[in-house]
Amino acid sequence: MKRTHTFVCLLLFCGAIVAASPFWGMSTISPSSIWTAGHPDAEVFWRLRFPRTLVAFLAGAGLSISGMVFQALLRNPLATPFTLGVSSGAALGASVYFRLGVFLPVLGSMGTLGAALCGSLLSMAIVYLLTRARGGLSTAVMLLAGVVINFFFSSLVMFTQYLSDANDSLRIMHWLMGSLTGLEIFRIPDLAFVVIVGALVIRHFSMEIDLLAAGEELAASRGVRTNRAKLYVFVIASIIVGTVVSLTGPIGFVGMMIPHICRLWLGWTHRTLLPAAFFLGGCFLVVCDLCARSIMAPAEMPIGIITALIGGPFFLWVLFKSCRAGGLLQ
Amino acid sequence: MLRIQHFSFALNGNCILENLSFSLAKGEYLSVIGPNGAGKSTLLKCIIRVHEHGSTRGEIHLKGRLLSEYDQRTLSALISYVPQAGGWIPPFTVAELLRLSRYPYLSAGGALRKTDLDAVEKALDLTGMKKLASRPLPSLSGGERQKAFVAAALAQDTEIILLDEPASFLDPKHTAELNRLVRVLNREHGITMLTVTHDLNHPLCMEGKVLVLRQGQQLFFGQAQEVLRGKILEDAFSHQFTCFQHPKTGRPTLLAEE
Repeated sequence: MKRTHTFVCLLLFCGAIVAASPFWGMSTISPSSIWTAGHPDAEVFWRLRFPRTLVAFLAGAGLSISGMVFQALLRNPLATPFTLGVSSGAALGASVYFRLGVFLPVLGSMGTLGAALCGSLLSMAIVYLLTRARGGLSTAVMLLAGVVINFFFSSLVMFTQYLSDANDSLRIMHWLMGSLTGLEIFRIPDLAFVVIVGALVIRHFSMEIDLLAAGEELAASRGVRTNRAKLYVFVIASIIVGTVVSLTGPIGFVGMMIPHICRLWLGWTHRTLLPAAFFLGGCFLVVCDLCARSIMAPAEMPIGIITALIGGPFFLWVLFKSCRAGGLLQ
Repeated sequence: MLRIQHFSFALNGNCILENLSFSLAKGEYLSVIGPNGAGKSTLLKCIIRVHEHGSTRGEIHLKGRLLSEYDQRTLSALISYVPQAGGWIPPFTVAELLRLSRYPYLSAGGALRKTDLDAVEKALDLTGMKKLASRPLPSLSGGERQKAFVAAALAQDTEIILLDEPASFLDPKHTAELNRLVRVLNREHGITMLTVTHDLNHPLCMEGKVLVLRQGQQLFFGQAQEVLRGKILEDAFSHQFTCFQHPKTGRPTLLAEE
């Protein structure tokens, strides 16, 4: 009952934030003007701010549930799309595409998505094979392999940037900071499809994720085919991360912080945790985007800087509060 | 119920279990003892098929069928497992942990039915954990947590329970409580049990069968009292033991020499 209450409050809070966010920014838009055809505010609202808020919400939700999955499967709060090398894999794919983009004009922006997806799946595959080579899918080995791949791919991204001309280099650098400016609106349905279907598939595996979080031996003894379940869930989370990164660039902290806060609130049952992480992650990035386009208006800050500036201290506050209360953060 | 024939297991080229052969009838109690690194826990993990990436020889039969013929879910409806204590565990509540044990019986979607909730209630009742059902696992004492894991194995509603050093971190009071619970489950509920233990008096106290391992090899399999004959324990542990009669219970009791 208490959980239902908490969840309804969370939903209402997120709904209010997402609905109000497009009205704020460099200039405030009156709600009445958005329904007046031809009104400049209506154009700004429907063409710029509303799609941008939608992307921020979906990206935040996607990164948050992916982080939740990685943390649970590897039983480690540091296991996020970044520490496992999935984000840097996607970043490398997209950077290489930016570098080669002029040669592949026929693919258009779908090329960025494809390249980022290939990069994230490639990094996941390398981490998986390295771990597998050591026998089974050991969490410690997987985490270490992820950290190594992360460094290796980040170096390759820098090398790609070094080889690029000034324009491409600037484009890669801006994109690497994580940004929601200059979004390709026609790609929103792709993002929505991947994030929503991904969330539903993860929900289907929620009990397997619970059991794997309790330990591989326990999960196997309860009937989970552990290696297969881990592989499926990793691939799904990697596809979500690849899709988000291809559109917004790598945005840190969401996948680490939001699942933590949700766990402190709602416990470790992923069936309950998933919708909370989804909505709170989405809402968090919407707020960050609002700050990114308001703080230095008319200039815009890259959203990755905002997530780190807001997320870092908040995460520390939660961490210290939890430790002092003998809380559940492990 | 469980028959192991000439079973060997190797991991990364290292032979961990070698030519084990023993069988266990329904309702029997087997204690597995041996020094550290003898392969006791590995044996349990081979039975629940956690070590699928190792290479095996020989056969494990469960209820007349080869273990490899069972899929993981069907297997887990027959055998449950209580892992070694001490590792990190997510802060599930006791009730949540027990509900997860119903996984082998759930259809796609994972919704619990009345039979599942009844099994959870029954396990909580049997283990006396009902009042702690809503407590997160990290907030429990070591003894309570171990009882919660036994309750979770019980909620899985299986004919065999494997316990991996269930009392290794418990004080004497909680060890005695846990032993009492295990005895009730074995004798009154007819659950076949296989327990890995470092306590040499455990098999003598439970009066079941005992399997002695050393460096993956089977030194002895038979009734618990028979292990006292000859120098089986001395050979297994490379250590001397004194056996005396317990003044209260009259049971033979072992004491490791200084």
